[in-house]
Amino acid sequence: MSRLRTADLTLGYDDRPVIANLDVTIPDGRVTAIVGANACGKSTLLRGLARLLTPRGGAVYLDGKSLAELRTLDVAKVLGLLPQTPVAPDGITVADLVSRGRYPHQGWFRRWTDSDHDAVTRALAATGTADLIDRPIRSLSGGQRQRVWVAMALAQDTDLLLLDEPTTYLDINHQVELLRLLRTLNEESGKTIVVVLHDLNLACRFSDHLIAMLAGRIVAEGDPAEVVTAALVEDVFGLSCLVVPDPVAGTPMVVPA
Amino acid sequence: MTATISKVDAAAQLDVAGRLRANRRRRATRSVTVTAGLAVLVFALFVLTMMVGSFRIGALEVVSSVLHLSDNAGVDFVVRELRLPTALAALAVGLALGASGTIFQQLLRNPLASPDFVGITSGAGLAAVVGIVVLQAGGLVISGLALGGAIASALVMYVLAWRDGISGYRFILIGIGVAAFLDGLTGFVLTRAQLFEARQAMHWLTGSVGQASDTELRLLIGGLIVLLPLAVLLQRPLRALELGDDSARTLGTRTELSRAALLGTALVLVALAVSVAGPIVFVALVAGPIANRLLGAATGGIVPAALVGAALLLAADLVAVHVLPTPLPTGVVTGAVGAPYLLWLLATTNRQGAGG
Repeated sequence: MSRLRTADLTLGYDDRPVIANLDVTIPDGRVTAIVGANACGKSTLLRGLARLLTPRGGAVYLDGKSLAELRTLDVAKVLGLLPQTPVAPDGITVADLVSRGRYPHQGWFRRWTDSDHDAVTRALAATGTADLIDRPIRSLSGGQRQRVWVAMALAQDTDLLLLDEPTTYLDINHQVELLRLLRTLNEESGKTIVVVLHDLNLACRFSDHLIAMLAGRIVAEGDPAEVVTAALVEDVFGLSCLVVPDPVAGTPMVVPA
Repeated sequence: MTATISKVDAAAQLDVAGRLRANRRRRATRSVTVTAGLAVLVFALFVLTMMVGSFRIGALEVVSSVLHLSDNAGVDFVVRELRLPTALAALAVGLALGASGTIFQQLLRNPLASPDFVGITSGAGLAAVVGIVVLQAGGLVISGLALGGAIASALVMYVLAWRDGISGYRFILIGIGVAAFLDGLTGFVLTRAQLFEARQAMHWLTGSVGQASDTELRLLIGGLIVLLPLAVLLQRPLRALELGDDSARTLGTRTELSRAALLGTALVLVALAVSVAGPIVFVALVAGPIANRLLGAATGGIVPAALVGAALLLAADLVAVHVLPTPLPTGVVTGAVGAPYLLWLLATTNRQGAGG
């Protein structure tokens, strides 16, 4: 029994369905990567899983209950999301921003508690952002900023964490650094992580479970080592290539032909 | 920074906890000090407003007269009948404008998004001028019309700017368009007016805290007593909405409901203020940013912004009535001070790349 799954899910914008009748199950306690070409519906699926889109048909189930029937605040205690391009008020400091991740755990009148303090401390420590707490977000580098956003999502202290292309604006060093961080979080706390990624090689290297999408459908899913083949890459990305083992980790590595 | 984040040892975690605690304590202290300081400043200006004039009265006499502790018919008349209404109007209008302005700015994530800039006060102005010139009404009718005009123009903008939600820039651009259209109509109505009505209308359009009647004032103060605590309560979802709709929803905010409540509160606050004092410009625009300067960036406190608004308006009224050689409407002073700020804001916002 998996905590997060969809049944017959249809999602779309305006009159245009992007995903139709999709069944997907997110394995608990694992890192799942969603890959696919541009506009294949991977971000749409993630937004649907995070309750940012209302299903046109079917449903997303969290712990067996339809997301649409749960209270927004209750969902927020279990499931967090880092959007693709998060926005912050001008001049906000790291401490202020990360602390706002505690929102779902605070009531209208209940103010800052010890558990808030502990969660923010853990989030800052885990992401290595404790030195930055007095700095405005604006003054940080891209890699630092992304780690601060992850820290805010961690402060929310959810069992499931979804991330929409968190590596997009980062250089290769910071991409790897961020994915290692997610891997560590998963290994140390058993957090279920779902991440939309552009880079297939990094997805293979850092995920336990890979979901490959094409035109709103899932064309393959499973252990990257078994799923990623030259034929699949040709299908999904239209790229003819060789798939060889990564010399460091042995995971599949795509080399354009 | 290439730090690989692995297991974090207990000592390091303790260090982080200490630093976080210090950071929070520092911010809390600053918040309390600044808010208390502003409250003292507002109180001082409030009393000062009632001390000065052709007949000077001491601070203690003013306070004891207002609190009905003394019994001096002459002083009581000047303080309670002549000066207290104006001082109260400046205080209440300033609080309302400051709170309303900062809510709009935070909600639309843009420092230009203050109600006097996006056409809400223009709606009030047109309705009031039509009332004065066409209907030849006065007093409460004008206030009622201004209130209705402000709310109607805000609704029109909201509907026009709606496209799967409200974006800051869209709302502001439409607001500027609506403001230009309404101001044009106001100008047209003024050209049709007789001299006496035109003069009266122009005076209303400049904005002055001295023009409030007792009933109007009571309405505004009643509104403040209900709406300011509500605004303080709504500060919580506002802090989440500032992070964008996606983040706000994943943090557990009911975005549309919260936004509607916040916009409604801010709108009624500004509409009440404008209906009492006319369109006093720039107070709503500058109060929030000044409060943020004092408290630290992005702190966005509604109460400090309201206090800044009150201090600004009380000071502007003092300058307008007592410092300048001829007494002027308050709006002239706030406009003269506020316009350079607006230019500075326009010149610097996009340079920082923070215009959105």
